[in-house]
Amino acid sequence: MKTYFDTGNAAMVEAAVIAGCGLFSGYPITPATEIAEHMSRRLPPAGGLYIQAEDETAALHICIGGALGGLKAMTATSGPGYVLYADPYGWAISAEVPLVIVNAQRVGPVSGITGAPGQGEFYLSRYPTHGGNFETIVLAPNSVQEAFTMTVEAFALAERFRTPVTVLADQLVTDGYASFAVPENEEELRALGLQVVPRRAHPGPDFYPACADIDIPPVVLGRGTGAACSDWTPTEEGYDTEDTVEQMRHARRLIYKIRAHRELVDRYDAYGLENDPDIVLVSYGSPSRVVLGAVKEARRQGLSAGCIRLQSLWPFQDELFRRKADYLVVELNADGQLAREVERAARYPVHFMGACGELPSTAELVRAIRRLERGEALPQSTDEREIR
Amino acid sequence: MFRHEVLISGFGGQGVAVAGRILGRSAVAAGLQATMLPSHGTETRGGYVRSQVVIADDDIDSPLVEKPDIFCALSQAAYTRFAQSAAQGVVLYDPETVATGPAPAARSTAVPARGIALESAGTALAANIVMLGVVLRRLNLFPADYAEQALRELMPRHAESNIRALRAGCAHCPHCAG
Repeated sequence: MKTYFDTGNAAMVEAAVIAGCGLFSGYPITPATEIAEHMSRRLPPAGGLYIQAEDETAALHICIGGALGGLKAMTATSGPGYVLYADPYGWAISAEVPLVIVNAQRVGPVSGITGAPGQGEFYLSRYPTHGGNFETIVLAPNSVQEAFTMTVEAFALAERFRTPVTVLADQLVTDGYASFAVPENEEELRALGLQVVPRRAHPGPDFYPACADIDIPPVVLGRGTGAACSDWTPTEEGYDTEDTVEQMRHARRLIYKIRAHRELVDRYDAYGLENDPDIVLVSYGSPSRVVLGAVKEARRQGLSAGCIRLQSLWPFQDELFRRKADYLVVELNADGQLAREVERAARYPVHFMGACGELPSTAELVRAIRRLERGEALPQSTDEREIR
Repeated sequence: MFRHEVLISGFGGQGVAVAGRILGRSAVAAGLQATMLPSHGTETRGGYVRSQVVIADDDIDSPLVEKPDIFCALSQAAYTRFAQSAAQGVVLYDPETVATGPAPAARSTAVPARGIALESAGTALAANIVMLGVVLRRLNLFPADYAEQALRELMPRHAESNIRALRAGCAHCPHCAG
């Protein structure tokens, strides 16, 4: 392994190179600009293409073009650009185009504050386009090392499921520096639990089969396969159709190819759950780093606390919230997005602690755990009756 | 097991992020764990910048600097905002740019970084590296050679003048009170 001390942005670029990324197209935006910068230097010597687009919509459309031409493609942005991906994102979901999309979340809405972290696109990453009738795959790193590993994993999942995969990071992960290890050969790659899935081309003629199978090669145009694809509902051969039976078949494939293979996507990390703690903190991304420290501190102070950290966000892992506990969801927004989803999945009380642009402190979290253990309400809650 | 927190804050253009990056990189080169969170405004020059550096001998849970052991205040605004958080640590400031004000931290230590930088490196731009030298000595976790190596790697064209500034900062440290 080679060890670097660099940013999450740099780590994701190294990961993309190892994963065989053949095209990066993006439009600069803080805090993801460095990904484009590093890509422009790293990809061409590695045999890949770097194309700066005129805007985000074009960037993702260019990635789709590259992927349909047989290249593994990636783009990176922040919230204001991620929302502009809506149109091509849907295109890629429906035409089953493998892509990797990085969103370095910053505080919003709209432009918000450029250099401050946020977690406002939890639900947008579930529904990144209109029309419904699909599932999405979303991974969420909380460190520079994970920014590396999850980007490699995102490329593999994109290929296997023939779908765009979002790596939902945040400014602290992408801009933050830490040491990370990069494998230098196949063996070291496997030691990190990673694999590289080579790009293949579907030979046809059933480009969009009526099944929930994965590991079907993606559609590649212009290789003598006779493949066709568009933004319209496809027949199995890829031709446009207005048949609602075909529409239902297509929708069910987009949904169930992911739901039926969730074990390949589901990822989480837990700490201190072995003794059924009274309070379970739930988080993802950067807040989870402070949460872990706070839970350790709370336990040192004799409080009964544990934590769950989601490493994959979508499909949502409802089963993780079946254990009897008071759940405290900590996120970098004030509206409580993950909290809302945990409320849906859990059968026990769910509390919320939100922050905007700045992580909560260890002391604040330990105080919150203490209050909940005493049965007191928190100053903030998703229940508006409890807002002070 | 140990965990040390260093906060460096000032305005854009002072090398706040560079100093944090060199500190983290040299700690990792010395075999320790390190994280560095830079935060900044939109501007390249001016505006507010902060580097939060955590150095430990084991995995780092939270990369947040909540109670800095050392706080380098490179501007008045930074001092006003963060000095209180370093109440249990030490605050390093340049009296030329920071007036410590009515609510100073327990231990504030004046470091004439700008002057030392002009003298040693021939440019006030190296004041951040002078401060870094003082920080390294105060931390006393690894030899300054690792930081010199990081300077050579990260700023090859200006390495020599910055290494002079770093050494001047290290040499000044014993004279720091507090």
